[in-house]
Amino acid sequence: MKNTFLRKLSLMLAVMMLPFGLVHAAPGYNIELEKVNNNVRDQESLQRGAVLFANYCMACHSVELIRYNRIARDIGWTDEQAIENMAFNQAKAVDYVKTRMEPGVSQDLFGIEAPDLSLLTRVKGNDYIYTFIRGYYEEEEGKWNNKVLTGTSMPNVLEGLKRHASDEAYDQATTDIVNFLDYVGEPSKVQRWDLGWKVILFLLVLLVLTYLLKREYWKDIKH
Amino acid sequence: MSEVNKKVSEPGGLLKWVDDRFPLIETWNAHVAEYYAPKNFNFWYFFGSFALLTLVIMIVSGIWLAMSYKPSADDAFVSVEYIMRDVQWGWLIRYIHTTGASAFFIVVYLHMMRALLYGSFKQPRELVWLIGMLIFVVLMAEAFMGYMLPWGQMSYWGAQVIISLFSTIPFIGPDLALWIRGDYIISDATLNRFFALHVIALPLVLVLLVFMHIVALHKVGSNNPDGTDIKKHKSPEGLPLDGVPFHPYYTVKDSFGAVMFLIFFAIIVFYFPDGGGHFIEAPNFEPADPLKTPDHIAPVWYFTPFYAILRAVPDPFLGVAAMGLSIAVLFAMPWLDRCKVRSIRYRGNSYKLLLTMLVISFIVLGVLGALPSTPLYTKLAQIFTILYFAFFIVLPFTSVNEKTKPVPERTT
Repeated sequence: MKNTFLRKLSLMLAVMMLPFGLVHAAPGYNIELEKVNNNVRDQESLQRGAVLFANYCMACHSVELIRYNRIARDIGWTDEQAIENMAFNQAKAVDYVKTRMEPGVSQDLFGIEAPDLSLLTRVKGNDYIYTFIRGYYEEEEGKWNNKVLTGTSMPNVLEGLKRHASDEAYDQATTDIVNFLDYVGEPSKVQRWDLGWKVILFLLVLLVLTYLLKREYWKDIKH
Repeated sequence: MSEVNKKVSEPGGLLKWVDDRFPLIETWNAHVAEYYAPKNFNFWYFFGSFALLTLVIMIVSGIWLAMSYKPSADDAFVSVEYIMRDVQWGWLIRYIHTTGASAFFIVVYLHMMRALLYGSFKQPRELVWLIGMLIFVVLMAEAFMGYMLPWGQMSYWGAQVIISLFSTIPFIGPDLALWIRGDYIISDATLNRFFALHVIALPLVLVLLVFMHIVALHKVGSNNPDGTDIKKHKSPEGLPLDGVPFHPYYTVKDSFGAVMFLIFFAIIVFYFPDGGGHFIEAPNFEPADPLKTPDHIAPVWYFTPFYAILRAVPDPFLGVAAMGLSIAVLFAMPWLDRCKVRSIRYRGNSYKLLLTMLVISFIVLGVLGALPSTPLYTKLAQIFTILYFAFFIVLPFTSVNEKTKPVPERTT
């Protein structure tokens, strides 16, 4: 009886999952995205990514859904280190991570308000951002375009980095930036992963106990 | 048996004091300790208890979300992210609530499937089915209103699409849509009233309907996979021979089931909380922007079969009518199915064939409703919409003279 039950259950689950697999909820893009190999458990990568983000992105962009002290706690810095490395001592630890740009300047310079990037990875996915920041090409002398987002208002801020770094260092730096944004998109991700298996393990023990209890009560019932 | 089924007959102390003033023991015995359920329930019979468990999970997690959520167009989006980031365990509470929404529909769809398989909607359980259908409709309204609260792009534009459906109704449509929104566009006023309905009005209705669902079930008794009537064969003491007291037999069995359910639930909450973009849609991480329509507006997965029916019909109002009808026609099941035999185990091939067609149509429509519409997909949606309705049109004719097998007297 037990066997057919498990068979039926697994068959039903498989049938139920099938339609979900048929529909790709992620948006499609015209070009093949580069796969980024980042790891939000890698604190050194997150620290490098945070510094790169502060230097190359925060002139225009904010991640104002997260505070400096939360970043510090999660990526292995003291509050002071976070303030020094990311805000050049111009903010308090409890402050949200704002851009250094004055309001309205972005509109004047680029014709668009530079968006907040707190949830960018959750909207677009890591690969999209990785391909985007690496996707600039020179159309003609001094005029850049992007293969992911044609005609983007964002200038090629990583141009200097790319010119002066080795290919490996450039790959690493861009991966670190995406890693940092991945972390900012969901700061509790590592906590979630680390708690989950303990909860499931507990439930598995409970499953055995409740099964034995059920079997004990039902042993007299004839089918 | 007599050991485990010992009645609390002569209470003393506090219990007696309470029981003299409130029918505590009587209620406990009538609905739990002496409620006889058929002993042959299979795994399909877990989903009712799972639905009840999910309701409790949703109410409890919802209370804690409401403590930090701000129902205003300016603050809603950020307050949800505040819950995800700054509230202690807020991310867990929110993922439990978002996972619970999808889990609710999974277990309710399977619970309804069980009724169709074993004829649980048939005489004398018509009211159990009708109340259950009302629960389903209220649940859809509850889910729709809850989906607006994070105030992301899909919250906004999904609601925009659904509410504009009402404006296609002749004569009263535009005024009706205005009345629902409380504004000319979806705005702060809409968000506020949806919050009120989502956290107070509809949950109250749901809990009341669930209570009535169970009371009605206990009046007529549970059906079983054989579709037999367990009250026909009783022991000399007047107890159903094929029944067992709900407590302890089904309380222990459902405890085992509940833990099994929670394991799947935990796997989603901790490792796939956005359900591959189906439980939480990626565009909903962008704040609602009335000036920027997303490329592709797809409702959450549990609405997609009905959405596909809506899009399959070229005329907007007729599309809305077809969608409404696709849900309304389910209410009529006890009268559309005229076969006396309840369980699919003893029914003829016509019902097996029709039910298979219904399930396939529902799943295919669900997939199509989530995809952007193309001429091919629209054609497919039209075919499967016809097949979906064909089930209800053909059934009354085939079920009258269905070639059934003999139903056993006792459960197998």
